[in-house]
Amino acid sequence: MRDSLAAHATLGRELGWSLDLSIGSTRFQILFPDEGLHRLAAERYRAFEAAEGPAFPIRLLDAREAASASADFSFKWQGATLRCRREDAVFSGVRNEYALDSLLRVLLSWTLLPQKGFLLHAATIVRGGRAFVFTGPSGAGKSTLASLAPEGTVLTDEISLLRQESAEWSAFGTPFWGEFHADGKSVHAKVAGIFQLLQAPHNRVLPMSPADAVRMLLPNVLFFSKDTEASRRLLDLLARLAQSVPCYRFEFRRDASLWEALPA
Amino acid sequence: MNAVAPTLWQRNPVLAWREIDGEAVIISPGESVMHELNGTGSFVWELLDGRHTPAQIAALLSAEYEVSSETALRDTESLLQELASLRLILQAGVNAGLAGVPADR
Repeated sequence: MRDSLAAHATLGRELGWSLDLSIGSTRFQILFPDEGLHRLAAERYRAFEAAEGPAFPIRLLDAREAASASADFSFKWQGATLRCRREDAVFSGVRNEYALDSLLRVLLSWTLLPQKGFLLHAATIVRGGRAFVFTGPSGAGKSTLASLAPEGTVLTDEISLLRQESAEWSAFGTPFWGEFHADGKSVHAKVAGIFQLLQAPHNRVLPMSPADAVRMLLPNVLFFSKDTEASRRLLDLLARLAQSVPCYRFEFRRDASLWEALPA
Repeated sequence: MNAVAPTLWQRNPVLAWREIDGEAVIISPGESVMHELNGTGSFVWELLDGRHTPAQIAALLSAEYEVSSETALRDTESLLQELASLRLILQAGVNAGLAGVPADR
């Protein structure tokens, strides 16, 4: 099985059906079984393309191949399956870019954790060189807020990547967009604050305690593992984040006046 | 003579939990569910190590929060019942090491 996988991967690479990506300083090399999906992915993730180099390999299997049964972490999404080991991942049953996008998010959520990072349902806007992270479930107003942001300042309108580097927390752009099709920028900025989005007839920013912040963040984290140790790691990470980054409840009006309410 | 030993409870080992500002945040990884405990609940939670009896926990609670021992015992027992029904705690020595929270949906 492994030999056949390796041969398959080599073939894909020789034919040029591989894609090197860097998302939040995490490097992936996706090896495609056919040209069609490779072309779609190259288009979708073009802002995150990286030069070839050491990267975590992801092999997409076509329908004839079965994925190996052993995995440290696995996940299913609408007929597509992700099997992840420490050294590589296999995606099977991926027939379109949506399935690829979903499995990539799940994989990223898994590989980020040991690197002190996670994905959050949040829009991120850069103001004055610092990242303002606006979190909430679907319908909370992430896309609305992104559409009200000055042009070129949106890192993502849907899924933000937060990561602790030495003592500082940074927000990274991701290629995972929602309704507002930003250019999904592969840049990052130091986090100024995290804001829980609550639509209101007024604008008001209220500071949150670290405990409230962790409770507010948890349901908005993209986290798919059922592993106790991984859950502990996530809790530790969120507790550290909540203690070092200011978090707020942000009651906001759906117009450009909301920017004036934010702390400097 | 009633010789029945009191039930000892311990936190379910499959849970991930952390105390932040004196309040316990608990995750059941199998169900991807978050549970929260207030200050007194978290105080009790910390003592659920399989060694303290409900009466001992209630006595410590009564001393810490200056409530009557009757109230403390009643509150402790009702909390234990609730935690047990959610399988957040297990009887110590019974099914030890078993994953108590259903793992798959």
